[in-house]
Amino acid sequence: MKSKKKEQNFVGSYSLRKELSLVPSYLVLVLWVGFTAVILLWVIAASLSTTSDIFTGNVFGFTSGVHIENYARAWTAGNVSVFFMNSLIYSVISCALLILVCAPYSYVLQRFQFPGSKLIKTTLAATTGVPVIMVIIPLYMIVARAGLLRDPIPNRIVLIVLFVATKIPYTTIFLMAYFENISRSYEEAAAIDGCHPIKTFWKIVFPMAQGGLITVTIFNFVNIWNEYFLSLMFVNSDSLRPVALGLFSMINSMQYSGDWSGLFASVIIVFLPTFILYVCLSKYIVGGLTGGVKG
Amino acid sequence: MKRNRSMIIAFAGPATIFFLATFIYPIFRTLVMSFFSIQEITDPISKWKFNGIGNYVSLLQTPLYVTSWINLFKIFVIGGCITLGVSLLLAVILKSGVHGKGFFQAAIYLPNVISAVAMATMWIQYVFNSSYGFLTTFFRALHLDFLANIQWLDADHKFWALLLSYCFGMIGHFMLIWVSGIERISPDFYEAASIDGAGKVSQFFRITLPLLRGIFRTNIIMWSISVSGFFIWSKLFSPISADTSTVVPMIYMYDKLFGAENTGDVVRDAGSAAAIGVMLCLFIVIVFTIVNKLIKNDDLEF
Repeated sequence: MKSKKKEQNFVGSYSLRKELSLVPSYLVLVLWVGFTAVILLWVIAASLSTTSDIFTGNVFGFTSGVHIENYARAWTAGNVSVFFMNSLIYSVISCALLILVCAPYSYVLQRFQFPGSKLIKTTLAATTGVPVIMVIIPLYMIVARAGLLRDPIPNRIVLIVLFVATKIPYTTIFLMAYFENISRSYEEAAAIDGCHPIKTFWKIVFPMAQGGLITVTIFNFVNIWNEYFLSLMFVNSDSLRPVALGLFSMINSMQYSGDWSGLFASVIIVFLPTFILYVCLSKYIVGGLTGGVKG
Repeated sequence: MKRNRSMIIAFAGPATIFFLATFIYPIFRTLVMSFFSIQEITDPISKWKFNGIGNYVSLLQTPLYVTSWINLFKIFVIGGCITLGVSLLLAVILKSGVHGKGFFQAAIYLPNVISAVAMATMWIQYVFNSSYGFLTTFFRALHLDFLANIQWLDADHKFWALLLSYCFGMIGHFMLIWVSGIERISPDFYEAASIDGAGKVSQFFRITLPLLRGIFRTNIIMWSISVSGFFIWSKLFSPISADTSTVVPMIYMYDKLFGAENTGDVVRDAGSAAAIGVMLCLFIVIVFTIVNKLIKNDDLEF
């Protein structure tokens, strides 16, 4: 406390000098963020202008007015509604399943020693570094030979199972750090009152890990929403494509359709859900990354 | 105790079985497959032909595959220096007492939540565009015509354009991890150093860097993991076929698995695709081992 006060006085008397010495720092930050903003603003402007405006470099002029109808066209004619709903289904269900599977799993691994628990923990930690392609080839073999990619419903289930499977090591390891910080005294008190440990977990410990659960769900949601490689391999029909795959096919067909403003409108639509989530919950992302990392 | 046991079985049992079935078993199966010649990915085991290390040998004799690894190494080393260096610089700047730290931090991290397809589209269609693009317009305004006239997306510059845009997106993530490391260094060190008259730069090299060794190690390993999965960016810069300036092992693997649309020189073979997976895994293991040898555990407590 005392040293803090001293520091404040120190800062106070040199405030102007300190601010001047920070000018280069501000310059770097403002240029960096400014560049990001220019790209984003350009895409927003392009999504509201016309294809000919884009190619003449006049997106900020809006000479022919603001074309909000680009969004309507992308949503219906460009099939963005289909990709959007698909990604929403995949991400929401996968995230919910991941929490249902990994929260209890991570809890018992963190709290109890049982035969194999140490081996499981080491294996989980090691597999967070295994490239997804190491697991995907045999899984594709099994799934394709079982004919699960022929019909839409099994195909969707396969995708969701894969998203869950590939995220289990990361989610479980991530949550263990959070359970470690929750005191055991609540469980002990509940046990004395005769509460079954499974009930104690769901009623008491699970809600207390809320911060970690939200953070890991944001990461999982953003990852699954933007996922490309697994869907490229496993999605067998256009109607099942998630947003990343849908956007990619749109870009490839641009040379035939030529609807560039529609493409940029689609880019913005696809970007919005994760952006809104990020703006509302960015403190969880920053806190999650800075809290969960061990040097 | 007995009730705890029933909970452990209920919570850990199904999850472990699922994990073993969808993660551990496939890893071993991929390893086995990499020693067999398997023409179609859906071929039954009876049609597999044992090939020893033949898949590995023939892959390493394929020029396009070797190129894909050279590209990956370039991304790993050059991109790693750029990403880790710039992200560390930004982290140090953020921790130097600027106002609005939260805002800058969030804004720099933002590209990480955008789909890679959308990000790459913005770069390719806008930043690198040679007629109305950001770089061209920007350099023309500064009358730096030799820079303005660079055709970023031609064969000579495509790799660097790819690398630049990929790193830009990754920097925010690593910056946050550096920030978390710097936050754990006690301010007493800096205070003592300031009293002794050490400037900001020497404080950085003598306090911040040595104490960030552990984070440095983690970041290099994490970088190797993200680089090994490099796929979508390459696909977006060369959408139709693998081209030598942007091909990476994952792209080559995909062509091995499902066949390339236009080139006859990639023969479909799931066994070789598995071998590529194993080699990518080895790459991470090697990086992990070297980094752990070179950067020893922190002997300093802080």
